[in-house]
Amino acid sequence: MTRAVLQGWSAWATGREDEAAWRSWAEAPEALARDGRPEAGFLPPMLRRRCSALARIMLTVAFECAPPAIRDEVRTVFASRHGNINESIDLLMRLARHQPLSPTRFSHSVHNAQAGLYSIAAENRRPSSSISAQEDTFACGYLEALSHLAREPEQPVLLVVADVPLAETFAAMVEEPTASYGVALMLASRGPGPELDFACGSEDGDASPLAWPDAAEFLRWLLGDEPRLQLGAGRRRWSWTRAH
Amino acid sequence: MVNALGRGLEEIWPRLLDGDQSHLSMRDDLVPNRSLLLGAVRGNLPPVPASLRRYACRNNAMTLAALETIEDAVADGIRAAGRDRVGVVMGTSTSGVSDAEEAIRHQHETGKLAPSFFYEQLEFGGAAGFVSALLGLTGPTYTLSTACSSGARALASARSLLDLGICDAVIAGATDTLCGLTTNGFSALQLVSDVVTNPCSRNRNGLTLGEGSALFLVTRGGDGIRLRGVGESSEAHHMSAPDPHGEGAETAMRSALRDAGLEPGAIAYLNLHGTGTPLNDAMECRAIARTFPSPPPCSSTKPLVGHALGAAGALEAGFCWLTLHQRDAEGLSLIPHAWDGQVDPELAPVPLVTKGMRAAVGPVMSNSFGFGGNNCTLILEAPE
Repeated sequence: MTRAVLQGWSAWATGREDEAAWRSWAEAPEALARDGRPEAGFLPPMLRRRCSALARIMLTVAFECAPPAIRDEVRTVFASRHGNINESIDLLMRLARHQPLSPTRFSHSVHNAQAGLYSIAAENRRPSSSISAQEDTFACGYLEALSHLAREPEQPVLLVVADVPLAETFAAMVEEPTASYGVALMLASRGPGPELDFACGSEDGDASPLAWPDAAEFLRWLLGDEPRLQLGAGRRRWSWTRAH
Repeated sequence: MVNALGRGLEEIWPRLLDGDQSHLSMRDDLVPNRSLLLGAVRGNLPPVPASLRRYACRNNAMTLAALETIEDAVADGIRAAGRDRVGVVMGTSTSGVSDAEEAIRHQHETGKLAPSFFYEQLEFGGAAGFVSALLGLTGPTYTLSTACSSGARALASARSLLDLGICDAVIAGATDTLCGLTTNGFSALQLVSDVVTNPCSRNRNGLTLGEGSALFLVTRGGDGIRLRGVGESSEAHHMSAPDPHGEGAETAMRSALRDAGLEPGAIAYLNLHGTGTPLNDAMECRAIARTFPSPPPCSSTKPLVGHALGAAGALEAGFCWLTLHQRDAEGLSLIPHAWDGQVDPELAPVPLVTKGMRAAVGPVMSNSFGFGGNNCTLILEAPE
């Protein structure tokens, strides 16, 4: 079953911090700001200090999307192409200079650090996945969320997709729209919200590269009225169709 | 499968049953001023084809070595399902970090990254992307990276992709390779033992790091070993230390039993997470004692191959698979727990497997617990 109900969403980029701002972006989309980080003032100061820009973005959209009553009950999927790789690169530069590693920085550099921080901040003990899938990271994050719904249809899944630009040395190696952004979707097997069918397939028709991340394109489609969205710039195609 | 014990199931199985620790080796080039005993894969790895040089890192070469040991089954699986219906779910916590280290050292010395380096070697998604590109697959392809539960979780997601009807076969597993980042990072956390890891002993003082790759062809039906149950949890506790009460571990084991529709008494063998750190073994034994009125025979295989981090869950699911696959009319031969035999009176008692121990055929369980409080327990069983 690849149908799911989208119960809610939230998104963040510099200058686009609430629903109204994203609705106007969806009507006239343009590239998102490269840099920036949200305040994340809801986090306890101790925890916030340890949060990278990526962690602040992910936790901000996660907390906005998940109502307080179910923050500790949802399953979570965190999807990020680069994750904390800038942090790892920094640690590797320290190693190249024969400097010791900080144990705290090392343990916060794992790909699932944001999942761990969310689990602590929201006191959430439910299953959680952290994924990465090159140019298909958004679609595969959505698919991993569906896989959690398949395992436990009664538990909504909070999907959090975010990235920040790669460190300068590596950025030239990757062609992608650079942005600091996050999108969260609350997916469930029933309840209020649009029902969406998801499908995947191989190359079918042209896919022109977007000037903004896939997750933002999904949001643009969600806020509009086209019946079908197709994403995928590589060899794979992903599609969403409104069921009603 | 590839790990410190060898390549391929025929080589690895007898060494597992022997509790053979002679394949661990010392290295002094990873952590400054420290020699580490490690479960390193020795010998040359197969070259990544030139057309895939963007993916040519040690981590992917290790994946390739593991794939070669099951290439006939994989080819049959792809032929039966079709390239667009075969998914890839890989787990890794290192990806190509060891190659990125070289590239960055080169940059430090010359001002430029090593020319052989490409981002696809380092990004987590490249671990699955490599397998897909190598085999010409167009099904969904992604990498799970939840630290030391990554490999177990990859099998859980593979099963769900089949249940969803998105794929008809999934190549799932995990690979991790030894590198400066993890050896120095775990040393900085004071979690690495100077001598061979000694899980559940009163003398245990940390883990032995390792590396390896284990891959599975996961399909619906058939007469192979079954993935019967999956249990998962998060801890909401700490980024690099488990909840000392083992509540997250207990939830994972109980959920797996519930998912499998089994009573605790049905489990014939449990492969421990068993890292040999004081905290892990204490909380894991406590959680087992609460979950099982009468715990099954248990062993940690980390004293034989080291802790391969993200790959550990897949390697250990592979050891469980082998235990079931090698069953005979009289039952299962269990993998011994290699340790100094010094019981820790502070630990909740769990029966540890001794060499030559046998058990009646039944479902077996494997625990994987990761940084960030991310836990996954799998239950495998032999077909009727």
